[in-house]
Amino acid sequence: MTADQVKRAADAIAAEGTLVAPKVPTGLRRVPGGVDALATEHLVVNMGPQHPSTHGVLHILLELDGEEIIAAEASLGYLHRGIEKLAEHRRYHQIGTLLDRADYVSGFHTEWAYSMAVERLAEIEVPARAEWIRALMSELNRIASHLLWLGTFGMDTGAMGPFLYIMRDREALLDIFETVSGARMMFNYVRPGGVVMDFPLQAEPLIRAFLDTWDGYLDEYHDLLTGNEIFRPRVKGIGVIPRSTAVAFGMTGACLRGSGLPWDLRKTRPYGPYAELDFEVPLGTTGDNWDRYMVRMEEMRWAARLARQLLDGLPEGDFTAKVPKVLRPPAGEVYAAVESPRGELGVHILSDGSDVPYRLRLRSPALFNLSVVDEVLPGSLIADAVVTVGSLDIVLGEIDR
Amino acid sequence: MPPDATALSRTLVSAGVEGAGVSEEALGVLARVPTDAVAGALAALAEDGYSFLVDLFVTDSGEALELTYHLRSFGTDDEVFVRAVAGHGAEVPSVWETHPAALYAEREAAEMFGLSFPGHPNPKRLLTTDEIGEPPLLKSVPLRAHHEVARPGIVRVAPEPSQEDEG
Repeated sequence: MTADQVKRAADAIAAEGTLVAPKVPTGLRRVPGGVDALATEHLVVNMGPQHPSTHGVLHILLELDGEEIIAAEASLGYLHRGIEKLAEHRRYHQIGTLLDRADYVSGFHTEWAYSMAVERLAEIEVPARAEWIRALMSELNRIASHLLWLGTFGMDTGAMGPFLYIMRDREALLDIFETVSGARMMFNYVRPGGVVMDFPLQAEPLIRAFLDTWDGYLDEYHDLLTGNEIFRPRVKGIGVIPRSTAVAFGMTGACLRGSGLPWDLRKTRPYGPYAELDFEVPLGTTGDNWDRYMVRMEEMRWAARLARQLLDGLPEGDFTAKVPKVLRPPAGEVYAAVESPRGELGVHILSDGSDVPYRLRLRSPALFNLSVVDEVLPGSLIADAVVTVGSLDIVLGEIDR
Repeated sequence: MPPDATALSRTLVSAGVEGAGVSEEALGVLARVPTDAVAGALAALAEDGYSFLVDLFVTDSGEALELTYHLRSFGTDDEVFVRAVAGHGAEVPSVWETHPAALYAEREAAEMFGLSFPGHPNPKRLLTTDEIGEPPLLKSVPLRAHHEVARPGIVRVAPEPSQEDEG
């Protein structure tokens, strides 16, 4: 999808009328009551938890009539570590480490959502430089996260080759993360008040070198996958999620935008420096696997442009506010959310004025995105289920928490 | 864009939701409704455009459980919160028919807090198994277990039941 096509799609949606989401469907295709016992001649098959296309330890029960899926039910919890309970027993500065283990593919986003919530609760003013560094790292993290999705999505459709190229190129991003934060994943770099250490001088040439080659990389992936005669029929028109279904099941992120609803928290609830930046939000039209694929591909292009703007405009100043070693935010309640690669990642904190949160809840975008499988998989073929689940871009660490 | 508290209260009253108190709080516009009126209130709000359930936030205040439904309208671009207070182990009517996003959220709330949601089509556990015992997110459940799980062939000394949670 070129920039023109993206604009046309956005105009078409604006002309059609509406940001207004349609009413919730009155009758779902079937009552999502899960998989029946083996009472009929249908076959119940376990997909996962050790299956290469489940992106972690997802377990889906499929009730099959031949090749066709009659009912589907996700069985979760294999990675449940009780992060929310643990957070009630850790001080505010210690919780970032826990949340890094939730969505381990896009740590900067989870840390930012948590820090934003704490800052609003404790009324901490964050320096502009810190916000720009956070946004810069988040956009690079968005590319890294989408790249991991793209490689595995290619493998879901049977394309082994692109994965190797993608992992090669993702390595450059991980080197950048290591230079800036000291870690390749689970960074604990964004903390309440700012970031833990200043943006290092040697990171800038690394990022510029990556951004200079990035468009070439992306074109290479398009050559490998987008025009592929085997890939296209596997994704076009498959796994259609209508806009009303996407809204009803609480989907966000590229899955919601693939279904044609232009909702991106960076635009609709601007946080950090996003109000000052120039970017567009790619949109799909029908909500099939192809649209979700194209939206993410286009998002990577925009993320690189955003990263360049952020790097060029990085303000001088402090990289963190003065924050006490033991943080005791006043009693209150707050919800803060960021647009993570998977969608709206929210942190809801209830504070009683002590040095630990009374209750902390992570609103996991992938959990709500995944909940749609009970509704969309029935009626499709078992081979398409693999591709459709892949197109949702789930991370089980964040779903199970 | 904050919605109008009086308009929200009018919507709830015209839908026949009794005893709703609407106020503007730090979190946003929040409507407190009785537990048995939750489904009616959410249905009325869905009619009004609030068809997107962002999240279901449950917390244990010690005496009771507070359920907060976070709703969003894409039409008017604003958000409201609906809060109900239920006793421990109480029954809260399921809202999945108007907000299917609650299907997973209610299953999680049920296992984590010991609630039940009559009307839910698939009220199984979502993230935990039956062996976990008491609902883990209740404040009365300590972080550390009183007894270690016995495994065949492995002898372990169980910590004293009186041992305090590390806090």
